[in-house]
Amino acid sequence: MNKLYAAPIAIALLATPFSSALAQTAEERGLEIAIEANAVNDGFKDSTSSMKMTLINRSGKKSVRRMRAKTLEVTGDGDKSMTIFDEPADVKGTASLTYSHSTKADEQWLFLPALKRVKRISSKNKTGAFMGSEFAFEDISSQEVEKYTYKYLGDEEIDGIAVYKVEAYPAYKYSGYTRLINYIDQDRKVPLKTEFFDRKDKLLKTLSFSDYVHHDGEHWRAGRMEMINAQTGKSTILEFSDYAFATGLGDKDFSSNALKKLR
Amino acid sequence: MNQFGMNLFIKSIIVTSSVLAASAANAEWAKRGDIKFQQQFFTDNALHTATQSANSSIAGNAEFNKAIGENGNFTISPFFRLDQHDDERTHVDLREFIYRHSGDTWEVSAGLGKVFWGVAESNNIVDIINQKDAVEGINPEHKLGQPMINLLLLRDWGEVSLFVLPGFRERTFVGKDGRPRALLPVQSDDPLYESGNKQSHVDLAARVSGAIDEWDLGAHIFHGTAREPQLLFPSLTPFYYQMTQVGFDVQGTLESWLIKTESVFKTGENIKDHIQLVTGFEYSFYSVADSSVDIGVVAEYLHDSRGKQADTVFQNDILFGLRFALNDEQSTDALIGVITDADGGGHVFSAEASRRIGDKFKFTLEALVWSNGEKDPLLSQFQQEDYVQFELGYFF
Repeated sequence: MNKLYAAPIAIALLATPFSSALAQTAEERGLEIAIEANAVNDGFKDSTSSMKMTLINRSGKKSVRRMRAKTLEVTGDGDKSMTIFDEPADVKGTASLTYSHSTKADEQWLFLPALKRVKRISSKNKTGAFMGSEFAFEDISSQEVEKYTYKYLGDEEIDGIAVYKVEAYPAYKYSGYTRLINYIDQDRKVPLKTEFFDRKDKLLKTLSFSDYVHHDGEHWRAGRMEMINAQTGKSTILEFSDYAFATGLGDKDFSSNALKKLR
Repeated sequence: MNQFGMNLFIKSIIVTSSVLAASAANAEWAKRGDIKFQQQFFTDNALHTATQSANSSIAGNAEFNKAIGENGNFTISPFFRLDQHDDERTHVDLREFIYRHSGDTWEVSAGLGKVFWGVAESNNIVDIINQKDAVEGINPEHKLGQPMINLLLLRDWGEVSLFVLPGFRERTFVGKDGRPRALLPVQSDDPLYESGNKQSHVDLAARVSGAIDEWDLGAHIFHGTAREPQLLFPSLTPFYYQMTQVGFDVQGTLESWLIKTESVFKTGENIKDHIQLVTGFEYSFYSVADSSVDIGVVAEYLHDSRGKQADTVFQNDILFGLRFALNDEQSTDALIGVITDADGGGHVFSAEASRRIGDKFKFTLEALVWSNGEKDPLLSQFQQEDYVQFELGYFF
């Protein structure tokens, strides 16, 4: 499965025939939909993209981070991904490599350019803030069907668009959430909104997706994501550009040696 | 090449680099770097001749990188420091000036390069390729560019890295007008060598490394000139002996635990055969009390089989440290630590904290305190050398 950009798409629902839904429990339908959504997102092989992340604090002050990402689709397991940081300047050249796995802990390395050091780091830190943003590491890590259990809650409308409402429960014991609610565009099968509930089951964050582009007529990717923290008033906007798919990347582009060579 | 020749060589390359750097203004060169203003305050009167209680300096480091053709890559990384008092600390270096050619399963690099080996936090005893730029600070992360030809063989299970090191870099030492230092300055201008070839001795090294699930493993062998000289009494003249070193490093990454060990065996005509060891762990508490703060606990034991005869202060010592990462917008973090001599030879306390200011600047605070070192002949000389250091860096 894909990294950040498509993460919520991974839990997106495919329209399933109403008749089959009648015969299923809400949980069964949720799981079936997750598996189908996962399959729909398969087949991108690899992707590259650029990302601008704008952090906005309560008083409206903004700070910007820029990074580039490469992702390699791994059939039957989690994806491999690399992120290289361009801004802020003091972390320029820092890069991370993640092998995500569906059933065991992810593997993660960090390259520190000043020391030329590749450091293996713990991947247990799921709840921590990514680059000081409102996105936690678990929000941006590769999403696998097995990482959640599901429940179909019904249909709704967002801004006049019909959506499926599906609840997802993290299987990971160190997750910062009790549950997520995904709102999926019934027509395009892409998420329009995700709500995150904290360990006390209070609404923590709302993520909105917009500016969707159908790349190569195959891959839906949101051009903009906005995460608003309901408890602190802080928010983070992610804007994506320069998407490319099936660029010919392979395993050797996702090694610790390749990590040292990223620029 | 003698020291003068090496300096001339490096200076001429730096001139070349500056010209190249000027042309790097165009988009073909990837560049990153910093300029840092540093202010040190010494809290006690020195027991030696450098009596200043404050010292200013400015340093700059840049890295320029350019792809050459499909598989080539060229990196230039010049460094300079201008120091108010210490002529030895005022210096230039080329951290990197290296061309790399990549094949599918191999790479060849040639030039001045920088290589990191190791896993430990306190002291990377396996990290033998580059000489320490010790004048830059107590922290061993500052290293001089090493002349090298490197062949890297990439395999599914890991990699094999072979080095020919055709030139030696002498360790830098704080000069007679600089602090912090021992009572007598090291006579670094006039070093002695075991090898008749002196700095031209060709050293050889090889490392095999790979990962088995959550365990990262590396083993190496080095034959050539020791990076850490013996300091001959009474003049403190550095003596660079010949040695063979074999060693390994291993890290287990087990959820919140990082288990780390480095060990080396060194043998040579002019040294007693000995084993050095660094072993310990780091445990992290993530998102403490549902905040964004992470706290890491680091503990490491350092050992040298020569005991009191060791030429290192880390012959039987324990590091205990706490790392704080606020994970806020300004990436505020801090590391406090204490190294304690298990033989009662005293403590070294250290603290470091940093915080980004705006998008382009970072402020770093560092403090070092030597305590109760009377029993240790080297540490005791640093008793009056405690300092606090402020650094403001501009990054590009």
